[in-house]
Amino acid sequence: MTTLSDLEAQASRRAPAFGEHAHILCDNLVRIYKTEGVEVVALQGLDLLIEKGELIAIVGASGSGKSTLLNVLSGLDVPTAGLARVAGMDLLSMTAKDRLRYRRSVVGFIWQQTARNLLPYLTARENVLLPMKLAGQKTAAGRADDLLELLGVADCAPRRPGQMSGGEQQRVAIAVALANSPEVILADEPTGELDSDTSEEVFGALRRANRELGVTAVIVTHDPLVSEQVDRTVGIRDGRTSSETLRRTSEDGDVIAEEYAVLDRVGRLQLPRDFMNALEMERRVRLELERDHIGVWPAGAGEENGE
Amino acid sequence: MNVWQLVKVHRATALVLALLSLSASLLLAALPRGYERAYDDAVHGMLGDVSAQVTDLGVTGRPIVSDALLTHPADFQSRYEEIAKGLPPRVREVVVPLGQGTSHFGAKTTGTPVNDRIGGSRRNNQYVDFAWLPGAATRVKWVKGEAPGASSTLARVPGRPELKDLTVMEIGLVAEAVEEMGIDVGATLLLGNSYPVVAKVTGLYEIADAADPYWEHNGEVTRVVERPIPGSTENEWLTAGLISDDGLAKLDERREVSYWWVYGVDRTRVEAAAAPALITGIGDYQRFLGDLSGGGVGNPLELRFELWTGLGRVLGDFLVVLRTAETLLYLLLGGLAVVSLGVLALAVQLLTERMRTGLSLVRARGASLAQVVRAGVAVVALAVLPAALAGYGLSYLVPGPSTPLAHVVPVVLTLTTLLFAAGRLALAHRRPLKDTRSDLVSARPSPRRIALEFLVVLLGVGGAYLLRTRGVASDAQELGADPFLVLAPAGLALAAGILTLRLYPLPLKLVTRLAGRRPGAVPFLGLTLAARSRGGAALPVLILLPALAVSVFGALVSGAIGHTQSRAAWRDVGAPARIERAAEIPEDVVARVEALPGVTSVVRAGKGNVQVGISGLRATVLSIDLKDYRDLVAGTPLTVPDPPRGLGVPALVSTTLVPYKEIELGWHNRMTIRNMGRIDELPGLSFPGENLIVMPFDGPKRGGLRTYTNMLLVDGDVDRATLERTVGLADAEIETYATALADIRNTPLTGAITVAFTVATLAMGAYALIAVIVALVIGAADRAKALSFLRTLGLSQHQARTLTVLEVAPLIVLTAVAGLALGLVLPLVIGPGLDLSSFAGLTVTDFPLTFTTPALLAAALTAVSLLGAFAHATAGRRVTTALRVGESS
Repeated sequence: MTTLSDLEAQASRRAPAFGEHAHILCDNLVRIYKTEGVEVVALQGLDLLIEKGELIAIVGASGSGKSTLLNVLSGLDVPTAGLARVAGMDLLSMTAKDRLRYRRSVVGFIWQQTARNLLPYLTARENVLLPMKLAGQKTAAGRADDLLELLGVADCAPRRPGQMSGGEQQRVAIAVALANSPEVILADEPTGELDSDTSEEVFGALRRANRELGVTAVIVTHDPLVSEQVDRTVGIRDGRTSSETLRRTSEDGDVIAEEYAVLDRVGRLQLPRDFMNALEMERRVRLELERDHIGVWPAGAGEENGE
Repeated sequence: MNVWQLVKVHRATALVLALLSLSASLLLAALPRGYERAYDDAVHGMLGDVSAQVTDLGVTGRPIVSDALLTHPADFQSRYEEIAKGLPPRVREVVVPLGQGTSHFGAKTTGTPVNDRIGGSRRNNQYVDFAWLPGAATRVKWVKGEAPGASSTLARVPGRPELKDLTVMEIGLVAEAVEEMGIDVGATLLLGNSYPVVAKVTGLYEIADAADPYWEHNGEVTRVVERPIPGSTENEWLTAGLISDDGLAKLDERREVSYWWVYGVDRTRVEAAAAPALITGIGDYQRFLGDLSGGGVGNPLELRFELWTGLGRVLGDFLVVLRTAETLLYLLLGGLAVVSLGVLALAVQLLTERMRTGLSLVRARGASLAQVVRAGVAVVALAVLPAALAGYGLSYLVPGPSTPLAHVVPVVLTLTTLLFAAGRLALAHRRPLKDTRSDLVSARPSPRRIALEFLVVLLGVGGAYLLRTRGVASDAQELGADPFLVLAPAGLALAAGILTLRLYPLPLKLVTRLAGRRPGAVPFLGLTLAARSRGGAALPVLILLPALAVSVFGALVSGAIGHTQSRAAWRDVGAPARIERAAEIPEDVVARVEALPGVTSVVRAGKGNVQVGISGLRATVLSIDLKDYRDLVAGTPLTVPDPPRGLGVPALVSTTLVPYKEIELGWHNRMTIRNMGRIDELPGLSFPGENLIVMPFDGPKRGGLRTYTNMLLVDGDVDRATLERTVGLADAEIETYATALADIRNTPLTGAITVAFTVATLAMGAYALIAVIVALVIGAADRAKALSFLRTLGLSQHQARTLTVLEVAPLIVLTAVAGLALGLVLPLVIGPGLDLSSFAGLTVTDFPLTFTTPALLAAALTAVSLLGAFAHATAGRRVTTALRVGESS
């Protein structure tokens, strides 16, 4: 017989929280921009879990909220509501000081515009040393050179951004992002301005950093070249995660990609728009629980009449 | 972060900032120096206009008891030093040592009548005093006889048996005593009615250098004064004769003797800034002498000391003038400081905008706010500090004493600039990556801000109202400009600036609506852009507005001064030229003047000073044809009443004489004039305050004699020198409007004010131009992006240029209008507190609202600013560049 105290104990013994052990956790994340009475809801309850050491791509149409998510994760923007935790740090409750420490040592960031990542009047090496100096660390020119070496741009060390190609600039930018040994690097369309060969190089550099340094890497991209080469691709639509594509290598060496729709914790699901259009699903659908799946049917004419 | 590198990267902007800092610091450090010099020149000029007797400190000592008689030169010397001990340090600084300049001592008797002449004929009403002046020995030339020597005794005076054993003192007299008083070398005078003494004239002298200020203290020994005896028809003659050291020993208590110690003041060492201290010092010294007379140590009630000087009064008068000048110049300086600070702030804004991308990246990469602000401020400091120092250093090239203001202002300016930079950087980088959604219009001002702005406007307007009702503190001795007088306009300017910023979109909306209905897209687009321009507009408005307001105010003040100066000159002369003489002006002279090239008309007049029969009143009487005179002065500020008409001798008379219907007066002839009306004054022809009688030119003829001319009023273009040559009469007094005006204008302070206003107006014009260009450059990236987009839609280069000008024009024009309005209102606000009479020669009663100069100023400033906008719009903007700029920002 269960006693009242048993019930209390049961209540206080909470179930393992959503994504408790994830390296990056977003739970019901909301970000609203408000200007002159106009509200723009950039993130509308986004959920995302990323494990440590993962390399994932985030894809989505323009305005879907990808960049906002990345700005939130990089500590440059503060979400309006929800939960965001990176490497155990709660991004909503951080003080300004925490936030600075976070930017200095937990995350590294790479922007789309090559020119924006680097100070044009500093050499590649100086650019890499800059975050170390800002963090008040003893600058180690050796480490800067190692990073540039790892990313294959060792010869660019004494050059300024103006004297480098776009791909080299982006690889130096990755080195800059890695300067203070962050746990996470975030890249916002790092190959967006590059041709496919150069994109390949830059993505290769990112993957090398991920594999060799064990850094969790989150890449926002439109580039299929990138999105098709990562372990997991998360699709965002209207400020929510809508789909996930998992890739694994089959025994015969082929890459098998499986696309999943994302089911959130309360059971909401986004159907791909193509599916909905194909079956002219609108407003209401009919669900039927089968033994091993759930069937979704468009609301039929008979049903419309109340049958 | 390497600050040097940042400076190097943004060197062009840093250079602009540095140049602005240099110019501001130079202007604001140099102008006070220049002013101070003008003040000093003014005080020297004012002291130079009065005699040394007024400016020097003369101490008289009168012996109270016979023991106190000083009979030996050494006594004077020791007393000189003793009394000098009480001179306050500030006064001592301007006093020249004994033996130099006018510093000297001496002894004189006063009012010693010539009782009789021994061996000569007696003449009445003559006075000969004794003067012992050791300093005179080298300053006179003995032209007859020799210098006086030792005294002797005369046992008996022939014919005066009661006089026995009289002291005979040898004296030397000024040479003109022979002619004026009939006293020559060898004359023996019996001086004094009781206890007479005999003076034997041993020599006659002439003054070696009549201009030597030493003689201003001792005028009585340099000449014979002939003056009417009050209440009598007779005259009296006075002079003083020099005596020897031995004679000094004989000046006893029976003579009205007084001792003089003169502490000569070196006028060139009197500084305007020290004037209040000098005034206080003189007061202190007066008290010191009073204490000494009261029997202080070393002076047991022997001599009664008294201070004779007009220095305090002259300096007091000067301070009244100075206060007005200072108020005006502080106002100007304040305006200039505000404007230069605004331009500096704009340049700082430009520099921080340029550094923004780099600093944002650094901030995103983990720089703390402090690190970012430090780096940014260091860059600004590297640009500003050396430049400000250089400007301050260069200001030493401007002649003039340094003032606290000259040191403080550049420091304040630099600190404010750095603080502004720190504030801007802190605000811009408070949050990393602040540039989200910059396309949206900025948020509405917070209620707190609106309340603050409302308060500022209220304070500005309230201050102005208070100033108008309260006037200003009147005690000039308290020195300096009334701070309220200077602050109120600043508050008013700020209030006007805020109102302009808040209200300018309203008329713009109206115009935009009109432009929207018209076919061309450019005006509508340009005006819409103008109406949307945000924050960036505040600084140019706050620069342009005070710049124009101060310039307009300056023009009005200059105008008012100029106007009143001209009025004063007209009132002094009464005509373009006036020739006046006590005796009649001969006909041939009149004819010569009339024939002079340039002379268009000559009005004759007779002038005299007469006793009015009935009352014993005196009056100036003029015989002049008022109609001709009125034609002569037509177009000048002078007004002339209608000529008197009637039988007999019709006349206009001044108020005191109005009650009499007929007045009998003796002018050339006894005549009776008939009072036909009132006349208050004829400026230039009669002195104000005098009784005046004006009759027709033929008045004396109607009175039974003939016309009489001793004054000519000349119209036409003819200078004083020509007139002097033509008239050729030594005793004729010739005045022209031009010379009178020049006399009034050529005072150092008037010059300083005019120059200061010119410099400030030019500087502010330049600053306004820079402000507009810098403001445009700040928004250049955004504008280029918008324009390049519009260019892709088919906007031509020409249209793009028009668009840019249209975008900035409304704000400039509206600000110019507001500045003009403020400038026109300022005299109304400050006018009552400003006494411009000392610059104008007359009380400045009104500020004539001459719109021409201010309107021209406003138009010029607007044009210059718009030209700046046009130049910016024209200067090499290529679509490709613009597109690249757009992408990288």
